[in-house]
Amino acid sequence: MENLSLKNHISIQDLNAFYSGHHALRDITVEIPQKQITAIIGPSGCGKSTFLKCFNRLIDLTDGARASGKIIVGGIDVLDGSIDITDVRRRMGLLPQKPNPLPMSIYDNVTYGPRIHGIKDKKRLDGIVEKYLKIAGLWDEVKDRLKSPASKLSIGQQQRLCLARGLAVEPEIILCDEPTSALDPLSAQHIEQQLLKLKNDYTIVIVTHNIHQAMRLADYVVHLYLGELVEYGPASEVFKNPKEERTRAYINGTFLADLKTDAEINLKGNVCPYNFMYAKQALHDLSNGKLLKVVVDYPTAVTEVPRGMEADGHKVLSVKQINKTDWEIVIQK
Amino acid sequence: MDKLREEKLFKSLMLASLAIVVGSLFLVIAVVVWNGAPSLSLSMITQTPKGGYYLGKEGGILNAIVGSLYLAFGSMLLAIMISLPVALSLQKDYIGKTKAAYYIRLSLDVLWGTPSIVYGAFGFIVMLYLGMRASLLGGIIVLTLLQLPIMIRAMEEVVKLVPEELKEASYTLGATKLETTLGVVVKQALPGIVTAALLAFGRGIGDAASILFTAGYTDSLPRSLFDPVASLPLAVFFQLGTPFPEVQQRAYASALILLIIVLALSITSRYLSKRFMKNIIR
Repeated sequence: MENLSLKNHISIQDLNAFYSGHHALRDITVEIPQKQITAIIGPSGCGKSTFLKCFNRLIDLTDGARASGKIIVGGIDVLDGSIDITDVRRRMGLLPQKPNPLPMSIYDNVTYGPRIHGIKDKKRLDGIVEKYLKIAGLWDEVKDRLKSPASKLSIGQQQRLCLARGLAVEPEIILCDEPTSALDPLSAQHIEQQLLKLKNDYTIVIVTHNIHQAMRLADYVVHLYLGELVEYGPASEVFKNPKEERTRAYINGTFLADLKTDAEINLKGNVCPYNFMYAKQALHDLSNGKLLKVVVDYPTAVTEVPRGMEADGHKVLSVKQINKTDWEIVIQK
Repeated sequence: MDKLREEKLFKSLMLASLAIVVGSLFLVIAVVVWNGAPSLSLSMITQTPKGGYYLGKEGGILNAIVGSLYLAFGSMLLAIMISLPVALSLQKDYIGKTKAAYYIRLSLDVLWGTPSIVYGAFGFIVMLYLGMRASLLGGIIVLTLLQLPIMIRAMEEVVKLVPEELKEASYTLGATKLETTLGVVVKQALPGIVTAALLAFGRGIGDAASILFTAGYTDSLPRSLFDPVASLPLAVFFQLGTPFPEVQQRAYASALILLIIVLALSITSRYLSKRFMKNIIR
């Protein structure tokens, strides 16, 4: 039994993804274990969502995006262009960041998938609706108004409806893209509890930038940073004893509100490559081991400045969005 | 203080524009009702003309009412059947991003602005070539052509507004493009699609020039698709063109009937839209 639960379900080999020229994921090779919760952690813009989008090839729908490499699920390479992608997608439920109920009744939302896959029998559909709404923990709240529009539900209820809808097509894998980030704390807790129950039957991959959530839920952790795989392993090891300095910094960085920095430069309003050069200069003036905080607002700089600094042999400790436009990058010389 | 003045200025500008629009539309309706109402009688809408449409002071304009309804509904249905697939195929999931789609949109916009008499002349030439004579079918086809640009562009705009997340939700459940388009996109866009159809209907039922040569005009009711058929806009045109004041008066009554038909359809479609709106995601 123990052996079975440790079997790998999704095997990712040399995954690369590009967004209209931007190299979003670089050479990622990792195994996702079966019937466990695997959390993908990392700062915003590190490619977590892109990573998830490769699994069910939702990335195909994005203009100018493509992925190469292999993602093997049950012996089938998902990225192989010749496979039936609708079948692969059916086998992977997706819980999105923001609940996206379909423009129909609660009942029709849950039966949408099964009906597409050929189940027409009304009794069977009724059974499916009850079963999965119960699993998602929504049944008691909606059983008297199954015919009312899904859009009338609260946002937390909508997210549970999306969970039920995803489960109704009987997937093996549940992909969650920051599933609680749009929810209030109570609804978020509700979703987390359902996920913990579901891991007995499903392989769950959850993208989260909430390190506490990852700690509460995850059995395995994958740390992505600027599109690269930094570290992965059992959650207990990664959180208690990260092998990689960057993982430690990320975990600590999220715990501390601010890293104590020795110098700070504001590069708002600067575009690449100027913000680059200024950052370099500022680092030059610091002695080894000191921390520099850089604030940028130019979108490309958010990924390129850290990357450039790393290439120069400095260590990037955190990349954090501090408000709508501004990002804070902490670099150690 | 300055901001307050700015605010006031813009408010009065908006009110002025509103007054111009509402005022002029009201005047049009008032003139039609004022002149048309006295001639409006039961016989107007239940009888065909007696003594010829040009000189006729007796009977009614049932021929034109029936003809216009046939023409407008026939062409609207045909136009929907053609426009909806085209509008859906212009989504980015299909050919929306291609160069071809760009040129399709461009030509539709040009066609939209083409005077309807051009459509009429074009239809007439084709019909001559085919050896067809002015008929209900010819009228329906030309009106359909007239409605296509407006209907496709309006439908495309509402289809474009369907959130990507909704389509993604459907795709992740293993739905194909077609299932997603019919099951989600059309459902979400339905109120807008109804509005688009209505816009086109309005253009179809109100147009005179395109059907002048293609549908013809007659005093009798059409018995088949190949009979010539009368229409309300042309009835107004001919009645206004006579030297007899009584007949000219009847032109306003015909215009009033046209207004009432459009109004009735507007109200019904609004009601239907509301019902469809129930499930829409906002």
